[in-house]
Amino acid sequence: MKTRHVLWVLVLLVAVALSGPTQAAEPIKIGAAISLTGKYGRTGEYQLEGYQLWVKQVNERGGLLGRPVELIVLDDKSDPATSVKLYEKLITVDQVDLVLAPYSSAVTYAVAPVTEKYGYPMLAAGASSTKIWEQGYRYIFMMVSPAEVYLEGAVDIAARNGLKTVAMLAENSLFPKASAAGTKKLLQARGMELVFYEEYPKTVTDFSAVMLKLQQLRPEVVLANTYFPDAVIITRQMKEYNVSPKLYAATVGPALPDFYESLGKTAEYVYGPSQWDIKLKTPGNAEFVKAYTELHGRPPDYHSASGYASCVMLEMAVKQVGSLDRDKIRDALARLDTTTVFGDYAVDEQGKQLKHKMVLLQWQDGQLEIVWPDELATAPPRFPTPPWEQRG
Amino acid sequence: MRLHVQLVVSGLLQGGVYAVIALGLTLVFGVMRVINVAHGELVMLGAYTTFWVFALWQVNPLLTLLVSIPLLFFLGMVIERLLIARVVDQPEVTALLLTFGLSIFLVGTALNLWSADFRSVESPMLAGSVMPWLWLPGLGWLQVFIPKPRLISFLLSLLITGTVFAFLKYTRTGKAIRATAQSREVAMACGINVRRIYTLTFGLGAALAAAGGSLISLMLAIFPEMGAVLTLKSFCIIVLGGMGNYAGAFFGGLVLGLAETYGAFYTTPQLQEAFAYLLLILILLLKPSGLLGVVRQ
Repeated sequence: MKTRHVLWVLVLLVAVALSGPTQAAEPIKIGAAISLTGKYGRTGEYQLEGYQLWVKQVNERGGLLGRPVELIVLDDKSDPATSVKLYEKLITVDQVDLVLAPYSSAVTYAVAPVTEKYGYPMLAAGASSTKIWEQGYRYIFMMVSPAEVYLEGAVDIAARNGLKTVAMLAENSLFPKASAAGTKKLLQARGMELVFYEEYPKTVTDFSAVMLKLQQLRPEVVLANTYFPDAVIITRQMKEYNVSPKLYAATVGPALPDFYESLGKTAEYVYGPSQWDIKLKTPGNAEFVKAYTELHGRPPDYHSASGYASCVMLEMAVKQVGSLDRDKIRDALARLDTTTVFGDYAVDEQGKQLKHKMVLLQWQDGQLEIVWPDELATAPPRFPTPPWEQRG
Repeated sequence: MRLHVQLVVSGLLQGGVYAVIALGLTLVFGVMRVINVAHGELVMLGAYTTFWVFALWQVNPLLTLLVSIPLLFFLGMVIERLLIARVVDQPEVTALLLTFGLSIFLVGTALNLWSADFRSVESPMLAGSVMPWLWLPGLGWLQVFIPKPRLISFLLSLLITGTVFAFLKYTRTGKAIRATAQSREVAMACGINVRRIYTLTFGLGAALAAAGGSLISLMLAIFPEMGAVLTLKSFCIIVLGGMGNYAGAFFGGLVLGLAETYGAFYTTPQLQEAFAYLLLILILLLKPSGLLGVVRQ
């Protein structure tokens, strides 16, 4: 009797051992907390949609390392403190295998120490403040051009057309301040005069005091270091207060399709930099745009492309390593030198981006056209912007 | 000089809406001696009413006031009957705690229902501005610049404030409200149903908050957490004007609008929010009873 029992147990064990590999493999869990509501919600959503497209495609290809990929998404409500908690939760409670980045420099800056502590490599799809890479972190990699050069194209067009006086606004958080600081240097180098500079808190929804000052100063150029909602409000109030610069650009906002939806014709002539554009001839870009539009029912913006590209590069690194060894993946990402739909990627020893290039877009008859740099332009810039009273 | 005229105009336009909101708060305080910390959240509900009615049915945003005011009037009465009525004659801290809880509840509900997104009413009729010429003694003709949404909001604020003043002054119910504010016992002795007056007053306070919210949504972006700052500003305004003084609330609102516009112009928008508290400190130091307040024995 006893031997029979033992035999049965053995048979069972063998059966279990054999059936193991043939069963569906345990999914690879990838976690991301991202802003889906709040101030960064609009842009965060695009980034997430990029992640989702990759997850769908990788699973159709048979998964990563032969295992299906499962994406766990949490909403940080645009709050850095919340995001920190959510990444702690993803790593310690949900025990994800890999993480994807949150959106915005401020949130990424808050989260970086957490992913660093647990040794999770992260491609920062939505952060462009170089400050993040000056803390000595080893596990975070920059993908986008730094905040400091966002307005390079706008400054270049203004300088080439002989404009001299510039007014600048900046939200007082990490990214807008960094881009403002970089822009100040660019202005100096081109011999332009900064006649007005002011920062405003994240919660401000009324710029009438600023507009009254701009009415007095009549600057030739207005540069706004913004996120989406403030860019919309500033543009609208510029019209309300009849502030008519010859060139007006905002860092984040104008390059999003929603900008025109919110503002209609008021958005015409507005310039905005972009890390990427639908019309760029990067490898696989047309296919990416098509697949994205099919999945999400709207065309991608640059946050979508960087989100998608961050996943693609993570996949490259994982395949190179051949396992989910996070230290080895980290080393692979540090060495990686490649071109994705998003453009070129290679980082220095601090993890700062070296190769990626930006473009400047302008709204022309309801279309976003690349107007800078010249070699990538799809249309010449419509310059100067006519005063409001001459616009329909 | 043109600049100062422009600043004064902008400040007054800003202050008009503050006045409507503060009037609601001071009315409730004056009659019921309840400090309604959730007042700003009622403003937020008014703003969202306008936003949704406009976004869903493309109704003229000005007409949405006809929805938000009655809706919040009714909600205010319900809140009074269910909650506030239980704390009216209790120590003030009880009412503070209750309305504070109500405020948290309303913000949380709004966050869950409508998310933390900034939203705004983007109606073509509210775009652009008007540039009237004003004649001022000693200065001659000056052209000032007024964004349309602000002008419309201000005119409606005046209309609403005027209507409420007339209601309080001339109607029987208005007189009963003022009588209750002056002395609850005497009002009761005169046969006024004080319970009913309380419910009505709170409803009226909520309706004024809703009107303010609707007007704000014409000018600015709205979000679920917009109320807290407005509650605090309204406190400053009613202390400025004299607690429980209706005309004081109106002038206090205008003064705050002016102070903010001048302050933000000459310093930076970063400090804009601070001017309300600066005014509060000044008035407490110089005339603690408020601009139009009387010293109670």
